[in-house]
Amino acid sequence: MFSKYLFIYKTRIIRSFTYKFDVYGNILMQTIIMITTSFFWKALFKGSTFGNNITADSMMTYTIMSSVLSVLFITGVERRIQQSVEKGTIAIDLMRPVNVFGMFLAEDLGSITALLVQNLLPILILGSVLIKFPAIVSLSAIPMFMASVILSMAINWLLAAIFGMWAFTAISMDPLYQAKKHLVRLLSGSIIPIWFFPKRIADILNVLPFVYIYQLPLDIYIGSASNAEIYSRMLIQLAWVLVLGALFYILSGKSLKKVLVQGG
Amino acid sequence: MRKTYSTLAHYLSVTIYSIKMALLTIVEYPSNILGWLLSNPIQFLLGFAAIRFAVEQFGEINGWNYGQLAFLYGISVISHALSMIFFVQGWFMGFYVIEGEFDRFLTRPMSVLYQFFFTNINVFGLTDLIPGILVFLYGCVKTDFPFTASNVVGILVMLAGAVLIRGGIYLLLGSTSFWTKSANDFGQFTQEIFDKTTMYPLSMYPESLQLILTFLIPIGWVSFYPASELMGIENTFSTGGMGVWITLGVGIATMMIVGLVFRAGLKQYESAGN
Repeated sequence: MFSKYLFIYKTRIIRSFTYKFDVYGNILMQTIIMITTSFFWKALFKGSTFGNNITADSMMTYTIMSSVLSVLFITGVERRIQQSVEKGTIAIDLMRPVNVFGMFLAEDLGSITALLVQNLLPILILGSVLIKFPAIVSLSAIPMFMASVILSMAINWLLAAIFGMWAFTAISMDPLYQAKKHLVRLLSGSIIPIWFFPKRIADILNVLPFVYIYQLPLDIYIGSASNAEIYSRMLIQLAWVLVLGALFYILSGKSLKKVLVQGG
Repeated sequence: MRKTYSTLAHYLSVTIYSIKMALLTIVEYPSNILGWLLSNPIQFLLGFAAIRFAVEQFGEINGWNYGQLAFLYGISVISHALSMIFFVQGWFMGFYVIEGEFDRFLTRPMSVLYQFFFTNINVFGLTDLIPGILVFLYGCVKTDFPFTASNVVGILVMLAGAVLIRGGIYLLLGSTSFWTKSANDFGQFTQEIFDKTTMYPLSMYPESLQLILTFLIPIGWVSFYPASELMGIENTFSTGGMGVWITLGVGIATMMIVGLVFRAGLKQYESAGN
């Protein structure tokens, strides 16, 4: 049953190793972001402490790990849908004896697996050499961090897939992708953590799914929240996975019925 | 003399037609412009809000409060928007080289560089201008910036210079495609680098980096030096009250030097294979 998807997954890993420029490009981008952001935090903190225990040093770790995590959140599903709708190849995709979304997921997981070596590792090494080694707050936090990252990846992919379904009916998607990209980037704590936001805004953001992509795993990693707080937030994270999963399930059935094929 | 005049008039009338055609594209793709009207303000207004929240917790960054940061950020976004309107093609130059798009320009009796930039005016850049102006005006209010005649002239001169510097750097990166013959899209990198170096005070970076960004790659002149002079903030290098004019000078010089590189590159251009 899963062997078909496993095959797609493997093919994607092999394919990923043939495109070089994109790979170096992302490393370069993330390195620029890491270095400039770390200078920003240094200039802002000037040796002081924020909240209970956050220092410029913990912000360096936060910044490096945010860049590292960003590799796991690279999704192709939106573009994939858009391109196959534009070129009309969606008709062929739909004829294949697999679930299209299962296929897109297997492709994305394949790309991410390749990127672990191509991108995640180089970014981690560059960050460690150029800024500092991003040590986790305590070894006992590792299992929780891992669990939370897997849930983050699920939220991120489901959001991308649900969003990408628009491409079945809407034609001009570029500005919408950009809007979504910026919303996720700015409201997830990927660059500026939500604890700096005014409490009212932070309270609203803590209800939305975005902070459960970057902020929660990063909080666990640098140890900026108590265990009790982390458990309750991980429950919300899990709830978002279930809600988005259900939404995805309902919408994917509906959207495939009204695929709009042009060009094909 | 008369010949120069008529040439100029000719270029001007072509520019006006190009602008008219560009404006018509708004009517052609209304949903597209609506999308950008949503996406660009999100990027820059939320982007500034997030920085503001962080800086507010500490009061200032390198002696800059958030009002002054808004002023700087606004200038940066406005010059970004203007450069998107007139010079965004530099980002896609690799594509023009690979696809043999310069053939069309070379056969027409007008400057190739002029045609490259001004026959494709990008009206969607206007949507960046809105959040830029909003954040800038917010900064002006927060810093009690006096709108005297000399300050207004200063802002305009600075923007003209800043746009030329940005456009020159886009064109320089794009021109490398003449030699590499590859369609690498530098857009994202250039935007990321410009964002990080023109939206924040340059003085937060180590001195070596500041030196590079002042003398080697003139990014410091896009917003940091002229804006700090307009707001009366002291920096490592004093601009002696001439900051905005230096920006304009640097912009013109950048464009002229890059224009020569572009010309040399165009000699390497060999159209598309088939």
